[in-house]
Parts: sequence; C-alpha cells; structure tokens
Amino acid sequence: MKAIFKREVKSYFTGMIGWVVAAVSLFFLGLYYTNRNLLYASSDFASVLYTMTMILLFLLPAISMRSFAEERKNRTDQLLLTSPVSIPAIVGGKFLAEVAVFALPLAAAVLMPLILKAFGTVSLVAAYSAVLGYLLLGSACLAVGTWISALTENQILAYLATFGALLVAYIMDGIQTMFTTGNLLAFIAFMVVVLIASILVGVICKRLTAGVTVFCVGAVVLFILFRLRPAWLLTAFNAVLSALALFDPFQDIVGGMFSIPAIVYYLSVIGLFLFLTGQALERRRWN
Amino acid sequence: MIEVEHLTKRYGSHTAVDDISFTVEDGGIYGLLGPNGAGKSTTMNIITGYISATDGTVKIDGHDIADEPAAAKACIGYLPELPPLYQEMTVQEYLLFVAELKGTRKKADRAAAVEHAAARAGLQGMEQRLIRNLSKGYRQRVGIAAALLGTPKIIILDEPTVGLDPAQMIEIRSLIRDLGKTHTVILSSHILSEVQTVCDRVLIIAHGRLVAQGTPEELAAQLTAKGTITATAQGSREAVVAAAGKVPGLTDLRVTDEKGGEVSFTAVSTAGTDLRGALSLALAQAGCPVLSLSAETMSLEDVFLQLTETPESGKPESDAAPAENPPAEAAAEENEKEADSDESNL
Repeated sequence: MKAIFKREVKSYFTGMIGWVVAAVSLFFLGLYYTNRNLLYASSDFASVLYTMTMILLFLLPAISMRSFAEERKNRTDQLLLTSPVSIPAIVGGKFLAEVAVFALPLAAAVLMPLILKAFGTVSLVAAYSAVLGYLLLGSACLAVGTWISALTENQILAYLATFGALLVAYIMDGIQTMFTTGNLLAFIAFMVVVLIASILVGVICKRLTAGVTVFCVGAVVLFILFRLRPAWLLTAFNAVLSALALFDPFQDIVGGMFSIPAIVYYLSVIGLFLFLTGQALERRRWN
Repeated sequence: MIEVEHLTKRYGSHTAVDDISFTVEDGGIYGLLGPNGAGKSTTMNIITGYISATDGTVKIDGHDIADEPAAAKACIGYLPELPPLYQEMTVQEYLLFVAELKGTRKKADRAAAVEHAAARAGLQGMEQRLIRNLSKGYRQRVGIAAALLGTPKIIILDEPTVGLDPAQMIEIRSLIRDLGKTHTVILSSHILSEVQTVCDRVLIIAHGRLVAQGTPEELAAQLTAKGTITATAQGSREAVVAAAGKVPGLTDLRVTDEKGGEVSFTAVSTAGTDLRGALSLALAQAGCPVLSLSAETMSLEDVFLQLTETPESGKPESDAAPAENPPAEAAAEENEKEADSDESNL
C-alpha cells in the first residue's frame, strides 16, 4: 500500500495534474480569501471554503479520473494485480494518494485563519472544523470518482461521468424541493428505479424471467404501499434524495453545526465507494 | 512447482481455455506453444492470478491462487505480453517500486535487489533512462528485471520475444536460458523454433486445449520415426491391400482413392526405416505395377501445424488422412485422450 501511495503521489507531480490542481486550488482559495476576509474584513473563513465547493466539481474529477482508468489502458494493472498485494491495499494506496494531492494545497487554508486571527477575533474552531469538513467532502467526492474510474479505461469518460455525478449531488438540494408534494410522483420515481433494477437483473442473469419476476414483485410491493401508506413513499423518497446530496452536510458544518452525523456520513460514503471500487476490480477479473 | 487441474475459462459462450491439466516441476524451462488465440495468455493470466478461472484449480508451491493469492503470487515473477511499465518513471524508479510492491521492506535491500536484477537482465547503464524513451528490446528487459524482483522461484514470460529484432531475440533467448539455470521458467510462444531451442519441455496448446506435451526431442523423435508413405498402384483394391499388408513395419493402411484400376493409398511406416523399396517390391511381386510412390516424414513443424489448425478449416478427406495419427501417438500417454478428442474435431 505504501509503495503504491508513494508512486501515485510522485506520478501526479511528475505529470501536470498535481501542479494544475494545486495552482487552481490556491488561486481560487486566495481569490475568495482576499475578497471575503481581507477586503471585506469578514472573520468568517468557513464561507470561503463553502464558495470553493463549486470549484471542487471541476477539480476533483481531474484527480480521480486517471486512478484506475489509466492503469487499465496501459495494462499496468497487470503488475499490481499479479503482485502479492491485496485489492483493498491497491485501492487504499491510490485513494490516499488522491486525497494527498487534494489536501496539499489546503496547507494554505490552514494558515489563512491564523493570519486573520492576528487582526481580530476569529473562531478558530469554526474555521478548522470547516477545513476538516472540506477535506472530508473532497475525499468523499474522490471516492466516487475513483469508483467511476475503475469502471472504464477512458479517462475523459471518467472525468465527465464523475463531473456529472457530482453535479447531480450538488444540485440535489434544488431537485429535492421539486418533490415536496405529490405521493404519485414518488410512486412513479420508485417504479422507474424498480424498472431499471429489474432490467439490470435480467441483463446480468441473462434471463428474461428473472427480470420480469423482480419487476412484478417490486411493482406489487410499491403499489400496496402506495394504496395503504402513501406518505411512506414520499418520506422514503426524500430520504434517498437527501442521502445523495453529498454537499449538504458540509453546508451544515459551514453553518456552524459541526456534527458527528456529518462526519459519519462522509466516512460512510468513502467506505462504500472504495468497497465498490474493489468490487469493480474483482469483477473485472471474472469477465 | 505448479499444479494446474482442469482449468477452464469461459467468456460468455466462448471457451478460451478448455479443461487443461498439467504439472510444472521445479527447475528447467517450459514452453507453452500454440498459435495466436490458442489460450496461452489466458492460461498464464490465470496462473498468475490476474484473471480468475471459471473452473479448475491452480496451485503454486501448494498455495491455491484463489484461496491464498498473496502467498501464491509471491512465488511468481510475471512478464505479461505487454510489459506493464509506467512510462513516466525511470528504469531505477520503476524497479524500486516493483521491489517494494513485492514486499522487500528495507531500502538497502531494495537497492541491492534492483541492482542485481538490472545487471541480470542486461540493463547496466540504463538505470537513469526514462522508460518512455527505451526501445522495445530494453523495455522487455525492464519487464524481465521486474519479474526477477522479490526472489520468485518461478518466472512466467508471455511471448517474451515478440516484436524484437533478430539480434534482440537472440539476446533475450540466451537471457532466458540463463534464467533457467536458477529459476523455473515458463514461456509462451507461437514460434516453434524458439521453443525448440530454448525449452526443456514443451506443452502444445490449441483451441484452449492441451494437445501434446514432452521434451522437444521426445516429440520430434516419436514423429520422425513415423513416415507417411503415399502410393498409387495398378490392380484391384484387394490385391494391392493384400500385397502392401505383407510389408513388415507398414501399418495403418488406408485407401484414399480408387478409379480405373488404380488404387491410391497411404500407410505409416513405424519401423523407423524407409519402407518404399520393400513396398515397391511387394507390389511388383503381386503383379500390381507401382505408378507413384513417395514418403514424407513429419517434422515438429508439421505436427504443430496439424495439432493447431483450426477445426473449421479442416482439410478435405481428413478422415482418410492417416497423418492425423502421429500427433496422438506423439502425445505423452496421459494426454492421449485429449489428443484423440482433438482429432475428432478436425
């Protein structure tokens, strides 16, 4: 794991990506910091990081896109997978390297509140919990990107798909407000999910009956729920949508609510997607 | 030691490797011979744990590759068909990385191991070069050096000489022979002469099946001793067959054509001598003038071609061609069944 981590970090900075990520992060960080904190003399450093989340949408896919897609394209995954290193160690090493590349420019963000502190009262707790939240948010996004990168050998595709996924997560708040009323809408949305799931099951099992069975069972359960407990569907639907809103917990942290659930949420997302990455690699060995 | 049992790999409906079993003892150079697409790379990728088998087991030194992958992989150094090199690294950086990946903990140990492997693979003076800028031959050497790291007992090389110029090919071959003195080496190739000159034992794979195995000498000796005689003589079928049947050492007589009082037939001479004279004399004594007579001995090349030709492009009248038989007999005894079943597919 250590060998992979070291090689990856070095590779990011031998190529362009590490430097570009550092430059873009520092530029926007400096820009917003100067604008908010220095020119307007605000002591709220967390809001600087909040504005930065927009930049993450473009920046993070660039870090994660190459992780597994490039290895697969160049067939160097053959070296990793035939070496006495476990798949979790490979995934872990690569992911930590991505986090390191993302976190390195944040060293500047660690200094910024201290500079403010020299000129007035600044809540360092709020500032640093925002930095931590920002780091966790970025890591969660990187985990999603790593998983997408493991699904393809085309880096551009990995970038676009990750960008798309993060964008959906970013605007999930807005999407959610569209669904506050209307049990029927939730019912239809769940039906679409069941339909997609049953098509996937049918394709994977190569059996029409399996897909049809899954769809029938799912549809009947949904219909019964819809007739008897329509409110459940809407609640469940909204719960799913909020779980997909990756950027929301960070918003809470910025708002001054540093919460354990937010940390647990990000750690769970990281764990889930790294697990899925391992599964994607494992599955590739079987096909 | 590698024990491969009933190895099968299916991709959907396509069977890439079909029930292959063999054992590789410690020491020596083993050659996996077969045309492109025969299943050589797939077999090697399964042995090294890169892909998993649909069925069957692979044990490396007693470690099952599916159950104890780390222990099994530690015994193997693998050079895939395309050396897995990171273009942006220098040779030394890359080899140090591989050494660490293979579990060499101490920095000094890694440096020593890399120096040794690089020297062994003939990379002196290239350590600081970027891999991106190396020629194909040197990339192959870097791949071999990487395979040597981590002190594996077994070195597996997938088509190590493909794409090299003749001089590089000779160099790599002598390097492989050199490695064979200290390691068990398995290499794959679709070039017969390469396997013949480099390997101690040969496994011939075609259409995902193991069709023959043995030392090159064994295979060649068994085959050249059996010459096929093709002849045409005048006379009735019965008379010709009776006369030819009396020649000692001539077996597997098959009539291939019969028209206008001329009988064409093929036979196999098992005695290891030229039986054309005896056959001609026997036919003449029976009153059947010989119109044509030719003998051909099978080279390893012929056997290889016959064993590995695609079933779809099977020769016409292949059921009547006795030349189909030698490969089956040439195969080591335990493989006779496989060879036979392969023949029925032709």
